[in-house]
Amino acid sequence: MATYVVRRLIQAIPILIGISVIAFVIVNLAPGSPVDRFRSGRVSPAVIENLIRLYGLDKPLPEQFIKWFTAFWTFPFNVAAWGYSFVDGRPVTEKIYERIPLTLELMGTALLVTMVVAIPLGILSAVKQYSWADKVVTMFSTIGYAMPSFWLGLMLLYVFAFNLKLFPLYGRHTPGNDSFGDLVWHLVLPVTSLAIQQIAGWSRYMRSSMLEVLHQDYMRTAKAKGLASGRILFRHGLRNGLIPIITLLGLTIPSLLGGAAITESVFSWPGLGYLGVQSVTTRDYPVVLAVVMIGGLMVILGNLLADVLYGVVDPRIKY
Amino acid sequence: MERVERTATTTAPAATTRPVEYEDEVDLIPVRTYWQLVRIRFLQHRLAVMAVVLMAILVALAIIVPTLSGNAYTKTSLTKVNLPPSLEYPLGTSDIGQNVFLRLMKALQTSLFIGFTSVAIIALVGVSLGAVAGFFGGGTDNVVMRFVDIILSLPTFFLIIMIVAFFGGVGNATTVIVAIGITGWTVACRLVRAEFLRLRDADYVQAARALGAGNQRIAVRHMLPAALPPIVVACALGIADSVVTEAALSYLGFGIQPPAASLGNMMTNALDYFFRAPYLILYPGITLILIVLSASFIGDGLRDALDPRQRIESK
Repeated sequence: MATYVVRRLIQAIPILIGISVIAFVIVNLAPGSPVDRFRSGRVSPAVIENLIRLYGLDKPLPEQFIKWFTAFWTFPFNVAAWGYSFVDGRPVTEKIYERIPLTLELMGTALLVTMVVAIPLGILSAVKQYSWADKVVTMFSTIGYAMPSFWLGLMLLYVFAFNLKLFPLYGRHTPGNDSFGDLVWHLVLPVTSLAIQQIAGWSRYMRSSMLEVLHQDYMRTAKAKGLASGRILFRHGLRNGLIPIITLLGLTIPSLLGGAAITESVFSWPGLGYLGVQSVTTRDYPVVLAVVMIGGLMVILGNLLADVLYGVVDPRIKY
Repeated sequence: MERVERTATTTAPAATTRPVEYEDEVDLIPVRTYWQLVRIRFLQHRLAVMAVVLMAILVALAIIVPTLSGNAYTKTSLTKVNLPPSLEYPLGTSDIGQNVFLRLMKALQTSLFIGFTSVAIIALVGVSLGAVAGFFGGGTDNVVMRFVDIILSLPTFFLIIMIVAFFGGVGNATTVIVAIGITGWTVACRLVRAEFLRLRDADYVQAARALGAGNQRIAVRHMLPAALPPIVVACALGIADSVVTEAALSYLGFGIQPPAASLGNMMTNALDYFFRAPYLILYPGITLILIVLSASFIGDGLRDALDPRQRIESK
């Protein structure tokens, strides 16, 4: 197992380099220069020259890339590893570190709600295939899947925050109130809008995975030897039916960042995705690069996590 | 007594199957080509057929209404603000007196255009790279697949935002299409590559090679048709994704900008008057859901219809 993880991490290195090159090239090929914002009559050309030297923009691109890329990995020890934000001059590491827990808070809750709801729903519609319950779940998942999450978020805001005034319109805390209850109150709508779409996908997946398991020979054997149906379903069925869900977990973790960008914007949730979108708008390149790199790292680690967990739960898989 | 020739390669339509009398039970199974079977299976998929009808209506509306009404969708009128639905304005007017129905139809046109063209790019890039990788295998395959790995590891939506924001300028549909296209081809590429790798050593490909067919002819004429079914399905589903991506881009302020209309920017505009006129956001939202639903049902129907293992239900 350990050697497998190490091997996978080594294989990830060229992919990480590839991601960095693409992100770096996109940012640097973009028309205009980061110092353009200072080019007005009031800033003397000498100051701009100094800025260009300060940011290293006078060096050739490959040299800039190597400098940025090597510095990037010193982040555990170096506050300036990801450079300084063009917008407020703060170290990018600092800006990102403070956003990560907030995104995890939102995404983690959404993922938890998704699992708690979608797995039982999937089991239900597989066990009672073609029943009215199955049809309702299938219909819900089809519509939930087709609804864009930000549109759903806006609808939720209108109905539950504006009309019924049950939940707040935006943000993570009411100013001056840092209690846990207040946080949960603010979490309800964004989590719902994220979860509905994921539940739609997950319950569908769980249904087909369970259906496949239910038709296996060992299920018939369990039934034949007289086990109680609940025991067959949960001990023999569910354990196997859950295995493919692990892949889904690995795939969902990175996609949370993209989904977060939109949902966080709708609900003004001060997370990483929101920061990413803002930094693209303001062309805050160091922040943009850091967000892309973190997104890429999440994909790689998510896939690795899924593969490792697969081996843990399924003894047929050996590394 | 006449017997039906069992040829698998004819592409003749059903009408040319000659009426014959059969000698034994085996021959009672009518002879049908693959595409005839596909059509029969697809028509049995009720939701998919409904989805095709719905998509046809949407496409027809998107072509006809904006063509007939020209630039009327951009026209504003300060005396006709926020009107309720009427005969002249079927969905009422907006906060600056624009005809919401005409705008919606123009937006439908824009969104469908972006959906179809970006999927065309996805198919073109994905099929070409996948075919090259699968056909040549070895080192070429390795290079292409590592490239696929890299693209798959990038946060796609964020990458699209970057490309559109940094290279697009304001309200540039072409950049949106290209950005969705060049980030979305990995699935198609993998599908085609897998099929080409499988077919590389197939007997009929060897036979074609032995007959002196060149690489290009073998790849295009002999291998590509076999790789098409999964691509067709992926494209149908891809249209839904592209349309939603465009809407999300516009919502975040990176996509198509007014006075041009897209489903996404209609939602953004409606947002400013969200609490006074929330129905303005319902129209583009529902239209978007209809596009996504019909594209994904067509995709599902095609998947079942193109799968030769699927049986035909007897009536």
